[in-house]
Amino acid sequence: MTQQVPAVPAVDVVLVDDHHLFRTGVRASLDDRVHVVGEAASVDEAVRVVRTLAPPVVLLDVHLPGGDGGGGAEVIRACADLTGTRFLALSVSDAAEDVVAVIRAGARGYVTKAIDGPALSDAVRRVADGDAVFSPRLAGFVLDAFGAAAGDVATGDDELDRLSAREREVMRLIARGYTYREVAAELFISIKTVETHVSAVLRKLQLSSRHELTRWAAARRLL
Amino acid sequence: MTCDDAGVDMTAQPNLHPGAGPVRAPRGALRRPERGRWFAGVASGVAAHLGLPLPAVRVAFVVLTALGGVGVVLYAFWWLTVPVGDPWGAAAAARPSALSRIASRPTDAERPSRRWPVTDIAVGVLLVAVAGLLVALREDQLDAGWVLPVLVVLAGAALAWSQLDEVARGRLRSRAGGRTPSSVVRLLGGVVLAGVGVLLLVGQATGPGVDAATFAQSVVASIAVLAGVAVVVAPWWLRLWRALADERAARARESERADIAAHLHDSVLQTLALIRARADDPAEVARMARAQERELREWLYDDRPAPGTSLAAQLRDVVAEVEDSRSGPGGEPVAVEAVVVGDRVPDEATAALLQATREALVNAVVHGRPPVSLYLEVGSDEVEVFVKDRGDGFDVDAIGPDRFGVRESIMGRVRRRGGTAKVTSRPGQGTEVHLSMPFVAIPQVAVEQVAPEQDPSVAPQPAPGTVEEER
Repeated sequence: MTQQVPAVPAVDVVLVDDHHLFRTGVRASLDDRVHVVGEAASVDEAVRVVRTLAPPVVLLDVHLPGGDGGGGAEVIRACADLTGTRFLALSVSDAAEDVVAVIRAGARGYVTKAIDGPALSDAVRRVADGDAVFSPRLAGFVLDAFGAAAGDVATGDDELDRLSAREREVMRLIARGYTYREVAAELFISIKTVETHVSAVLRKLQLSSRHELTRWAAARRLL
Repeated sequence: MTCDDAGVDMTAQPNLHPGAGPVRAPRGALRRPERGRWFAGVASGVAAHLGLPLPAVRVAFVVLTALGGVGVVLYAFWWLTVPVGDPWGAAAAARPSALSRIASRPTDAERPSRRWPVTDIAVGVLLVAVAGLLVALREDQLDAGWVLPVLVVLAGAALAWSQLDEVARGRLRSRAGGRTPSSVVRLLGGVVLAGVGVLLLVGQATGPGVDAATFAQSVVASIAVLAGVAVVVAPWWLRLWRALADERAARARESERADIAAHLHDSVLQTLALIRARADDPAEVARMARAQERELREWLYDDRPAPGTSLAAQLRDVVAEVEDSRSGPGGEPVAVEAVVVGDRVPDEATAALLQATREALVNAVVHGRPPVSLYLEVGSDEVEVFVKDRGDGFDVDAIGPDRFGVRESIMGRVRRRGGTAKVTSRPGQGTEVHLSMPFVAIPQVAVEQVAPEQDPSVAPQPAPGTVEEER
């Protein structure tokens, strides 16, 4: 996989995590499709570094010291005007309130810290290309938050507050552990279509003010 | 510390709610939130506490105001009696610490909370206005001679303050809210009010003759004196009161710390010692690290439900047991990626489903290849489980009914309870087991098992209705 890259230039990435050991580990595990151009260990440092370098992708820990205690979400909000920079959240916690807080703040995806190097590099590339990165767990949070498990689905395309039947199907397959490729094969659609659905779901998750979502989030104190 | 009823009732965790399978929606504590308020946050606090939509509560206040002003009175009453705070945070603080997550919650830095003490300012302005009115009423009696006594009183008050030594002053100041502009303004305003009140009162007593109007004036003036004193003293009184509460909280924190220390000793320290002892066995070390990581993560980042109330928690236990006790074909530990959507109170049917899930997981771990994925979804009328592995797969039909252990332990278990089980396996693409268990058909035995003391005639409720309630 690493041999076929010369055609595509490496993606510049800023790595934000308060553990030096972890940053070193991630730096070592990323393959040469990704180039780490900067690191930061706190909210304030992260905002400074990201604003200076304006990298296409920022790998961002959810739990960060400093700032007003908002962690990764605070960094994303502080850099909201950098249109060329996308954020990929990294979290060790897996708790809904931590993950959904950064997603609602504007992160393009979320992966756990247990992810291996090639998969992380893939995720970074995907985010750099403007796609969303959904782990099974994030798909689970989405289904939970939108109440999609109860079969409440949108009928129109532009309904922000509910998932369409297709989006729900895609989310369920991702939650079941299917890769985008497998989802595409299972539903007889192209990978590009899967990515379109996933991006649409991400948009809904970020913008929806659906009553159930609000309550679900409030119960976990996300809003 | 309230470990049961009241404490748990306000939490975001599943409740034992007999008959109603799905988990009940959580409630916030009664607090006036800083964010999202229009005026004093009473409406949003009440809405969060009662779980009602905020606009409805606001409309209710307006309607009640039209009904003889009840709304305004209620609003003012709650404004005075309900403390400012985050309803969800207060609800979480009411949880027994042994069940709460340890890590701090992410705070929303986007909208900083309001810092201006609007209530204080409003009261202060009112008092100053009253004082001004009183002075204006007696304008004819005022002359330059009044200025001197006012200055004397003020100087006296300042002198009294300077009598306190620096340390005591600092302590008093810090109790009154530190050297913030609002505390200084409050102090000065209070002193001025008290001084004006005293002067008015004295001036009245020594004035010529006493009639009804001047008597009323002196009453008002003395009230102003009391109010002024109250404004000066109230913050310290509040601080004192809070200091007591803080002390209690500190004691609670102390026992919490002891809890944490005991837990770290029992789990992390033991595991580290074991890992050091078994450093030559990478598979075993990986397994122990994984188990410890799982436990610690749950402890740090999740609120734990009370035992026996959460299917999701039971599933996590099953996953942990399989991860700890089973190895892949090569003896390596296998991690299971488990995703749960929704939750409900477990019953006999879900117990059978969990058993079958466990067997499917063991199969996937032992015979399949990682990553092993597990997905459980509590829908409106059934619970579905998917277990997927990335093994070589096999032809399901090619396996005889006698040899297929999966057949009895997985499929038989679920089907006997009225569920369905399906194994999909294609060579080269791994295997997926799909189990589903309807819960409309559950006999009330299940309910009795959850809550034996319930009257069977009222306990069972149809599941779809309860789902509506949850949403």
